[in-house]
Amino acid sequence: MDRELLIEIGCEEIPASWLPGLTAQIARHLDARLKDARLTPASAADGFSTPRRLAVRVAKLAERQTDFEELVTGPPVSAAFKPDGTPTPAASGFARKYGVEVEGLERTDTPKGTYLAYRVRQRGKTTVDVLADVMGGLLRDLTFPKQMRWDAYLEDGKGDLVFARPIRWLVLMYGGRVVPFVIRRTELAQGPNVQDVRSGSNTYGHRFLTTSGRAGRAIKIKTFEDYQSRLLENFVILDRAERESKIRRELEAHARKLGGRVSGMVAGQSALLQEVPDLVEYPSVIAGHIPVEFLQLPEEVLTTTMIHHQHYFPVVDDDGKLKTAFLAVTNMESEKPEIIARNSERVLTARLRDARFFWDEDRKATLESRIDRLGTILFHKKLGTMREKADRIAALASWIASVPLERPDLAAQAERAGRLCKADLATDMVRELTELQGTMGGIYAREEGQPEDVWKAIYFHYLPVGVEAEAAPSREQLGAAAITWAAVSLADKLDSVVGMFTAGERPTGSRDPLGLRRQAQGVVKILADLPELTGIDARLPLGPLLARAAEPFGGYGEASAPLLTFMADRLAYLLEQRGFDVRSVRAVLHAGIEQASPLDARRKLEALARMSGSRALLGVATLLKRVKNIAKGVVAPAALDVQTLTDAAEQALAADIALQAPIIRAAAARGDFREAFAAIAALEPAVTTFFDDVLVMAEDERLRLARLGLVATLRDLIMGIADISEIVTQG
Amino acid sequence: MTCAATANDTYCVTFQDLILKLSAFWASHGCLLQQPLDLEVGAGTSHPETLFRVLGPKPWRVGYVQPSRRPDDGRFGQNPNRLFKHHQYQVILKPSPDDVQQLYLESLEACGINARQHDIRFEEDNWESPTLGAWGIGWQVLLDGMEITQFTYFQQVGGMDLSPISCEITYGLERIAMFLQRVDNVFDLEWGGGVKYGEVRLQEEIEQSKYAFGQVDMPEAEFAALHRDLFDKYYGFTERLLASGLVWPALEHCLKCSHLFNILDSSGSIGVTERTAYILRVRQLAVRIARAHVEGPAQHVVVSEGL
Repeated sequence: MDRELLIEIGCEEIPASWLPGLTAQIARHLDARLKDARLTPASAADGFSTPRRLAVRVAKLAERQTDFEELVTGPPVSAAFKPDGTPTPAASGFARKYGVEVEGLERTDTPKGTYLAYRVRQRGKTTVDVLADVMGGLLRDLTFPKQMRWDAYLEDGKGDLVFARPIRWLVLMYGGRVVPFVIRRTELAQGPNVQDVRSGSNTYGHRFLTTSGRAGRAIKIKTFEDYQSRLLENFVILDRAERESKIRRELEAHARKLGGRVSGMVAGQSALLQEVPDLVEYPSVIAGHIPVEFLQLPEEVLTTTMIHHQHYFPVVDDDGKLKTAFLAVTNMESEKPEIIARNSERVLTARLRDARFFWDEDRKATLESRIDRLGTILFHKKLGTMREKADRIAALASWIASVPLERPDLAAQAERAGRLCKADLATDMVRELTELQGTMGGIYAREEGQPEDVWKAIYFHYLPVGVEAEAAPSREQLGAAAITWAAVSLADKLDSVVGMFTAGERPTGSRDPLGLRRQAQGVVKILADLPELTGIDARLPLGPLLARAAEPFGGYGEASAPLLTFMADRLAYLLEQRGFDVRSVRAVLHAGIEQASPLDARRKLEALARMSGSRALLGVATLLKRVKNIAKGVVAPAALDVQTLTDAAEQALAADIALQAPIIRAAAARGDFREAFAAIAALEPAVTTFFDDVLVMAEDERLRLARLGLVATLRDLIMGIADISEIVTQG
Repeated sequence: MTCAATANDTYCVTFQDLILKLSAFWASHGCLLQQPLDLEVGAGTSHPETLFRVLGPKPWRVGYVQPSRRPDDGRFGQNPNRLFKHHQYQVILKPSPDDVQQLYLESLEACGINARQHDIRFEEDNWESPTLGAWGIGWQVLLDGMEITQFTYFQQVGGMDLSPISCEITYGLERIAMFLQRVDNVFDLEWGGGVKYGEVRLQEEIEQSKYAFGQVDMPEAEFAALHRDLFDKYYGFTERLLASGLVWPALEHCLKCSHLFNILDSSGSIGVTERTAYILRVRQLAVRIARAHVEGPAQHVVVSEGL
């Protein structure tokens, strides 16, 4: 009969940000472990978590493993018997190993001949007998961003059991009965206060809340249903979605009562709302007030203090303006919530009072006057101080504005914004609220009367980072500052990425402590979206930008190859994230990253996506592979040898190339890749006929060279746009 | 209004009451009561009662107050929440008992905090000290949104894995006292017997902040040169102490270097590259001291059983 399996790992508070991942892990690993143990459940495991527990349940699990059967092959029959028919030592040895007579062995036919064989049959063990191993494996399988030793080990010979936080209890129940399992404590630690953790049928409710008896006492459970409802009685909501919806409901109700709404919740993308359900077992919401005097602080300062530092939700009115109220999610249901509210107000007020002090103090000195202090803040030991970085950004931003973006009139503004963009690192506000770097500099620049494009360029210069997470500021937000912003933002990121590579700091695997991937992602993103962001239709290749950024460091040096590969990966990643086909991405980036303009690449992909149904283009693509093979190493001639090319098919192809080439090149020059690909597709009949009718590798050398020249010309024409042979599906 | 004069729903806990209550609580749970380290340190962790005791296998339980200096946090007595010197109550439990969180919560109750009326949370916050080659895993404890305690399971000290694992509980005494007395300015706290925290400490804060930021009647360069010189001398002497096998005095002199470095840093006397070099030098020394302690005779001294 199928029975229920329930596991709960009772823990001290696990970091909130790990819980979603761990919930998925525990279910996935349990499924895999059960499968390995030949215990295939009727349904997949369900994972649950609260800060103090990881739980997983399988509704129906068979009582016994499936039987095991395996045919073990022994010696070949040809070597198993002596001429007199008696078994050889090889045969009798094999039989002895399995405790049978040679006569009792089977024969099995294999491609290599007939062999003696023994059929191993093993009756499945009862599930209860296997579950301890499954549990041990499961505990070993879970991985954490940072693990801790807590003087524990398992009796599996693998030593220490590291975990997220110490495990304090363990529920392991199958069909309502406890399956014995033990986590041992090391000899050095073990004593009256440090004991083995043994599986049982007790769980624990909320630390402080209870309807009867002592809070936090043991609760006996039998089934999952029982478990979930007993937990609820004891103020633990097991299901994360239920916690989230309780939070959402109460937030909205409180905000309504305050005559506003919760900021950022309309879009449903509040990172805070994503985080709080994993911080609490029994959420409830309290409302607090902000003294009105603090509303004179910049909104960014208020919201950052509330959201990042206190996990409080700001409340806004219908126009999106902050109200003098905040909402906090607590892990309590207090009879006197006003006590918690009042204390929370005091904590927030203390922080805001600090912030106001910084706001008043910081504005007494200009950003310009802070640049010297940047000389005391290290950017990187090999790359110098923030002051030096700011100087490099200024020079690079000025060049980007005047040369690649062709707006020399904006070079001075870009230079100034670049020089000032790091100055806020020397303000007290940013030292305290580091999340506000850039933003704060922009606000201070505005306050001291810097022109709009300077302060906005500073304000937004950290953006965009990553792929989509924190999108670039919109054209609307940037207004007239868009080009200056693009120059500064590109300069900052290019300087960081190129500088760090030349200093030998390269991201590896999951390690990217300096966030270079996200910065590089920002670079390719700005370049790919340049027209939408700035109104400038400049198709800037990465090569010259990288080279210019590398100049202060004496060029790339040895970093060249890894840097270019890194940038190529970033661009490919960006394009793939936008849903373009992986093969198409390879096709448009084939020429190497230095030549690649992210904007061109994006447009080529958009054109390719629109033409994905074109049989003609696919036809050319298919033949391009052959073209590339035949013309390998052949340099296309300046002009085709038309005298020698006499065959009708080759003349037709030469004529078509002559006709389409200028169209393709002109379209590409305009950035109209739809037309370029259409013109390539128009070559399809001529190319197909050519390969049907003409033997390129002709006996006659002159003819052969002429034909190779024709094929190489075709190749270069197409490859100048994209290596569309990549888009052909194998087979 | 003084504590003596308040008629609150909870009784009033002075700053010194708080220390007494925590001391009584932890003494009743097997902690030795130690005294603060009589040197300038940034945290109770630097005290040998933590730094040395968590090394090696021997069980230990101790509690003590540690005045902690953070030159960079000096605010000339003008900020209601920030101090050049604050007070930590430090508890070390080795090995960490299974019910350590419960014990901690009971200690809060013992101080007059009713957990049923507040929102007490353990939120991820790990601790790392580059200068001590040490790190641990843990939480900050939030009381209605205010950080009142740092709770750490030590994993490594002096670059060495620890076994058994110790738990360090560090209470921020001013914060907790402000919470209990419901004051918004640290200088308004009642220290004891109707005497305010400000009466005891304000002048000291003002003067120490001036010193920390180099506002001394002395040319800047001379101020810096003096502190550098002191650093080098203490550093050299620490090495001599180590070579002589005198590990405890070596730790104390290493801590002097650490404090001098903090002053050089807060007074803006050192550049950035130099700064990292200083940190590295202190770490190298601290790691050697920790190792010498583990290898030295200290581990063979038998202390009374029953801890």
